[in-house]
Amino acid sequence: MKSKIIKELPDLVKHKVISEEIALKIRNYYDSKPTATTNHLFTIFGVLGSLLVGLGIILILAHNWDHFSRPLKTCFAFLPLIIGQIIVAYTILKKKNNTWKETAGLFLFLTIGSSIAMVSQIYNIPGNLNTYVLTWILLGMPLIYLLDSHSVALLHISFSTFYVLHFGYKYNSGINESWIYILLMVWMLPFYLKLLKYQPEGNLTSLYNWLFPLSFTLTLGTFFKSNDDLVYLSYMSLFGVFYGLGKLSILDNRKLRQNGYLIIGSLGIIIMLLLTSYNWRWDYNIDGMHLVEVYLTLFLIICNVLLLVFLHLKQRLQRFNMFHYIFLIYAILFFIGSSYNIAITILINILVLMLGVITIKIGTEQHHFGILNYGLVIITALIVCRFFDTDMSYVVRGLLFVCVGLGFFITNNIMAKRKRAIRELES
Amino acid sequence: MKSIHLFFLFVILALVQLWVPAQMIFERETAIREGVAYKFKTKPIDPSDPFKGKYIYLNYQNNAVKTLDTDWVVNSPIYVTFSTDSLGFGKVEEVSKSKPEHADYLKTKVTMYNARTKEVGFSFPFKEFYMNENKAYEAELAHRKAHRDTLSSHVTHALIYFYKGTGVLDNVFIDDIPIVDYIEK
Repeated sequence: MKSKIIKELPDLVKHKVISEEIALKIRNYYDSKPTATTNHLFTIFGVLGSLLVGLGIILILAHNWDHFSRPLKTCFAFLPLIIGQIIVAYTILKKKNNTWKETAGLFLFLTIGSSIAMVSQIYNIPGNLNTYVLTWILLGMPLIYLLDSHSVALLHISFSTFYVLHFGYKYNSGINESWIYILLMVWMLPFYLKLLKYQPEGNLTSLYNWLFPLSFTLTLGTFFKSNDDLVYLSYMSLFGVFYGLGKLSILDNRKLRQNGYLIIGSLGIIIMLLLTSYNWRWDYNIDGMHLVEVYLTLFLIICNVLLLVFLHLKQRLQRFNMFHYIFLIYAILFFIGSSYNIAITILINILVLMLGVITIKIGTEQHHFGILNYGLVIITALIVCRFFDTDMSYVVRGLLFVCVGLGFFITNNIMAKRKRAIRELES
Repeated sequence: MKSIHLFFLFVILALVQLWVPAQMIFERETAIREGVAYKFKTKPIDPSDPFKGKYIYLNYQNNAVKTLDTDWVVNSPIYVTFSTDSLGFGKVEEVSKSKPEHADYLKTKVTMYNARTKEVGFSFPFKEFYMNENKAYEAELAHRKAHRDTLSSHVTHALIYFYKGTGVLDNVFIDDIPIVDYIEK
């Protein structure tokens, strides 16, 4: 960005857009500014290097050097770990910069895994990947705070998600892993909240804004062992929470692409509605639910309600937005669903249609092509779903598609014209 | 927080990081030093682990036994004691829910209970023998070849030390020759 502006300066002076004096001031301003980009690059390359070296060590040790004696192999198991610890100790004592912290933290995190794996290999300690991964995570997680390290934090989230995905969805698995996962995520909370407070617009903060909802979306299902039906309501509530969180000022005031909660929440709500827009889906059996599953769903619904109240108090619900209330409608429909199967299926279809229309309205009001087309995609998705399960004639279905297709052209065209008109007025 | 405080916290963490693999080693070394060794007939096959490398997976024959107890619960702990048969191979002596008095027993988990046959099944937690990545598959082939050539005279067995519930797989042999040496022959 800086070099781009400086490159443009002679051209701007030549065309008399700015004076020589202003050009000099701009150049001096950028020259006096500390160059953060170089540091970022160092950190990125340091982290990449550390990642590659760490993974390389794991692979080299996995080769199994069987000509070495057991004590020698044991020394090799500890060597990378001790080197990693010395580097981290040096980084802390000498108050090294972020590049050092990220690189050393990541290297030590990886060597913890390589060390335990090597000892397991030397003594033929069998698989049990869940204990191995959990031990690895637990021994590495204090580094997040000791070094203020993002690379370790990102690995912590990824490993914790892998841990619960790998074991939580297995046949006959318990929910212990899921609870441990929650505790591991809670460990991250102070770190994340600090980031949201002090660097709300940072790229890394945006990454966490995506990673957390993604991780929770992937792992929520591991809590459900007895009754699959309640999963729908639970997921709908979870997406409702994401949507509500995404509307908090700390996230909603950012660019849309930085707000993973809002996008995942909104998409999730639409997908859940579409999934349950089929008639047979509402033939639920609400008997035999585990208490944990019921309490978890209730907890998510309560979170939704609390978020709604908070948003209302903060006056962020002034414009009616149906996405906020879908969880409540869905919860009511869920419990009466099995008695009024067809009526509720129709209602769900109407809800999706309404959400599509409301999204188009928001898109046109904000002159936002992305939101406008998202609304059209919602309606198209609904029509595609009905395409496969209704007895409508081919002509009617065909006409519907043509109409929505024309809708895409016309609305986008109107929007483009409006935007052009506004730009002309402004100039 | 001052860097000296951070440093002391890190020293504690580093000690815990070292203690975890160290106590794994200590437990196994004690079992090898103090424990009693048994030989078990086994059949190796060759899979791999992304972190620990190539290993041969050992199938054991005696992992279910008749019992008078009827209330075995899957995944609950089970204590297994062993004795030696006339050919010198280990066999299950008895199973119980309480810790035996002598030290050479294995603590493991119940995998199944068949009420009809009154058999309780358990897992042997020493099924993986880690080998050099170029030798694990050869070990599986060597075992297969030895059995094809000689019918029953060649035996593949694992040597396992038991001490206070821990079982440590020390080595795998074909015809009493360590498997690594056997495939290099």
